[in-house]
Amino acid sequence: MAFINPPGLPIERGKVHEFANSIGAEEPLYHDEEAAKAAGLPSVVAPPTYTSAQAFFGEKNAPNMFKDLDLDLRFVLHGGQEFIYERPVFAGEVLTAVPGEVVASTKEGKRGGSMKIFDTFTDYKNQDGEVVMRVKNTLLQTAGVVKE
Amino acid sequence: MSDAFENVKEGDVYSFVKEKFSRTDFVRYAGGGGDFNPIHHDQKFAEAAGLPTVFGMGMLTAGILSRVPVEWFGATSLKSYGIRFQSRLWPEDTVTFKGVVAKVYEQDGVKHADLELSAITQKDEVLIKGFSTVRPWSPA
Repeated sequence: MAFINPPGLPIERGKVHEFANSIGAEEPLYHDEEAAKAAGLPSVVAPPTYTSAQAFFGEKNAPNMFKDLDLDLRFVLHGGQEFIYERPVFAGEVLTAVPGEVVASTKEGKRGGSMKIFDTFTDYKNQDGEVVMRVKNTLLQTAGVVKE
Repeated sequence: MSDAFENVKEGDVYSFVKEKFSRTDFVRYAGGGGDFNPIHHDQKFAEAAGLPTVFGMGMLTAGILSRVPVEWFGATSLKSYGIRFQSRLWPEDTVTFKGVVAKVYEQDGVKHADLELSAITQKDEVLIKGFSTVRPWSPA
């Protein structure tokens, strides 16, 4: 399987529509260009967590990130994520993820042995260099499978 | 300003229920969201990792939970959205997605609301705790 990493993350109407469907969102501003324009917006709005999806297609795509951080896919958990929005993101914008620092730490867990924690910080800039959102992502790697 | 902002007060609640998640829901999000970690769709891979079956992506639940502030206050109203994953979503789970207004205040003359969000299963298991700050936003 090839992973192609073009520069920038183009926000596309079709992908926004598909993503919105995958979270069951009927919000017209996600799906309907006419509704968006009638609301005075340049195009459809990207849902709040949309860029986390595009992160899988961007230059820091997930398979590479897992490899870079030496993570074992079987034991990786997503701890959490925080998004700060300067404003909504619209189809037609091209976002570039600017990776910031990665903060690694270790915690003794109760269920899965010792746990590695990776906090990654990313700014998303559009084609005009405007930072439209900031994201903090937390990945956890347990020493073994976490028993429920 | 939408009615939601005019009338908002602490303790207000908005919620909806998503009945019985299916493996197809997970696969649809794999396509929509790009997360093809096999632990979310490949039974044999999940079993090899010691799990009874595949589980849903955290970002699927997080994406659905983001509909709470969006449906309540509007798709352009989010100033922040954060989630912490607490436990896993399994096939057949029925989940209540809920928001409660924790605080209403003005900042720079603009009304803001802080929301506490949650996704909780039929077994009262918390999948996600979330938070969001909303305020009216209009294009310049």
